[in-house]
Amino acid sequence: MRVAAIMSLALAAATGRASAQGEIARERADFVRWLAAAPTSPLATVAQQPIGRGVRLGPADADIPLAGVPAHIVAPRSGGIGLEGPGVSRLMPRGLPVRLRGYTLTVDGPAGREVLTVFGPRHAAKQPAYYPATPGFAFVGRLLPPEHRGTVRLLGVDGIEVEAAEAGSVIVSMGGARTRLRVRRLPSPGGEESELEIFFRDGTNGRTTYPAGRFVSLVPAPRGRYRLDFNRARNPFCAYSSAYACPAPWQGNTIPAAVTAGERYHADSAGASELAP
Amino acid sequence: MLLAGLAAAPAPEGPWRAVLDLEGGMLPFTLELARGSHGRSGRLCNGTRCEPLSTVELHGDSLTLGIADYAATITARLAGDSLTGTFRNVGNRGPRVIPFRAGRGRWPVTPAPAWLVGRWDATFFSDFGSSPRVFEFRNGAQGLEGTMISNTGDYGHFAGRMAGDSFTLAHFDGSFVYLLAGACHGDTLRGVFHAGLRTETPWIALRSTGAPHLKRPTEITGADTSAPFRFAFPDLDGRMVTARDPRFRGKVVLVDIFGSWCPTCHDQAPVLVDLYRKYHSRGLEIVGLAYEVTGDSAVDARQVRRYRDKFHIPFPLLLAGINDVDAAQATLPQLHGFTSFPTTVFVGRDGRVRLVHAGFYGPAMGAQHARLVKEFAREIERLLAEKG
Repeated sequence: MRVAAIMSLALAAATGRASAQGEIARERADFVRWLAAAPTSPLATVAQQPIGRGVRLGPADADIPLAGVPAHIVAPRSGGIGLEGPGVSRLMPRGLPVRLRGYTLTVDGPAGREVLTVFGPRHAAKQPAYYPATPGFAFVGRLLPPEHRGTVRLLGVDGIEVEAAEAGSVIVSMGGARTRLRVRRLPSPGGEESELEIFFRDGTNGRTTYPAGRFVSLVPAPRGRYRLDFNRARNPFCAYSSAYACPAPWQGNTIPAAVTAGERYHADSAGASELAP
Repeated sequence: MLLAGLAAAPAPEGPWRAVLDLEGGMLPFTLELARGSHGRSGRLCNGTRCEPLSTVELHGDSLTLGIADYAATITARLAGDSLTGTFRNVGNRGPRVIPFRAGRGRWPVTPAPAWLVGRWDATFFSDFGSSPRVFEFRNGAQGLEGTMISNTGDYGHFAGRMAGDSFTLAHFDGSFVYLLAGACHGDTLRGVFHAGLRTETPWIALRSTGAPHLKRPTEITGADTSAPFRFAFPDLDGRMVTARDPRFRGKVVLVDIFGSWCPTCHDQAPVLVDLYRKYHSRGLEIVGLAYEVTGDSAVDARQVRRYRDKFHIPFPLLLAGINDVDAAQATLPQLHGFTSFPTTVFVGRDGRVRLVHAGFYGPAMGAQHARLVKEFAREIERLLAEKG
């Protein structure tokens, strides 16, 4: 009976979403444009560092050397995190970009454990690469309740710590095996929004996809069900720049098959660039 | 031949029934586009409440609507009587894109049935736990409308539609994307609250019995009352203003913790101005502590000046910090559990905190707004009557 119950809750292959491939193509195009041009794109990241008691920017011997920038300090002060330097003394709002002589700075993360990210004026000439969208990697089904309710601190896609809630699990059948994938709810900064996320590893890691694993969102579907589309799997930002911390793998979330869908390890401008096993 | 090939340029002017297609539902709102001697303009409306668009540009059949306050745009292709495109704003983790479409005309007005009108005590069930909300539904000039209230304030004005026993109420302002969908099941309402493209929170609501369902706004933030309340921040001209200044000595002081970016603070500002005009001669002082968006004091001072001028605020406004609850809490260590903008601290003639009111019920709350304004006045009168 127990097996039968789980069977009925397992995600079934999704059918009948003719528009999904078009949506995926548009999402990918939007993301590629954002990566290529946004001031806070991970392709422009110079450094990401916990602020702690303070981070010194600018000269060659600073914590983060920045060409053409005189010494500045980002450090806690009354009212939040401050930026101090020649002619500058200001607070850094959480999550919003602050310009500093051609560079862009953001402060994020929970109070007391803030992280500074520094973006440079130039974007690396890299493009994300994708497997062609394939309907066979999309599933629809129910979310099983979590074994333990509660929250856990972990790193999100951008290497920033968030307090995530255990949301449950889904079961997918791939490569002849059934794998239970842990699902967590990651809050977005500000407002009421959040995402159901799965950080998973699979047989492609280290060969055609990023070794640390990939994120994929679980999306609500009609009648209390959810859609899991591995064509939307994406790299953590640590795949674009070694400045980012990589999230630790989530216990158990390893699919014993090659998920040849979603984002691959990005190619550089000279052509495909795959990691050796 | 060339002339014959030129089609008449499409004209987007007029009202549009617009929709954001969320993963789990359709969020309706209204766009009103116009063309005058100064070019194109437009408004984004939730029922009777409208906000101006910052830019309206048409190039060929490509329409771009700017919502500058939130660095957001709606881009759409105009084809006859339809618009199809996307709403997008930019975050630090990638673009946020929600499908958008619209047809010419206005949404039909659907009145709220008697069984729905009134106050409901709701419980939201999320992975982070359950939490209380209150719904206020009523009939307005454009049918069903209302708002939703949490422990820290209301979510602004929602415009609604009925379909049999089901209803939806929506609020879209270019930043917040909220859709409350529900249906009646006997004496219970059940539904889903949608935030953004795909965050869905189930809820259940029962008609309010009148007993408190939310935390009282005066029980959310505590204060150290063992010593006089202290603050020291620069005003908009850079002069330091502190709680020990002579102007506050022996006075009843309202400390308004606000931000020029905060819609509920805009609701509260005219109320504070009225109270100041009424009670200043009897010993009331008000001081606003602004927690602003950029942290750049020149930019923030400009925003706060605009706020001051908009509401003709006669009392001092100080630049206290940035709009971050944790950062604000750090600047005011005598408060405990600071959660929301605005928060109003009532200080007695002896300089000690008597009451901390978290949040504010804006005009979208109808009778509760009026009741709260009276409560503020009553509390001020009570404190003015105390001996210094």
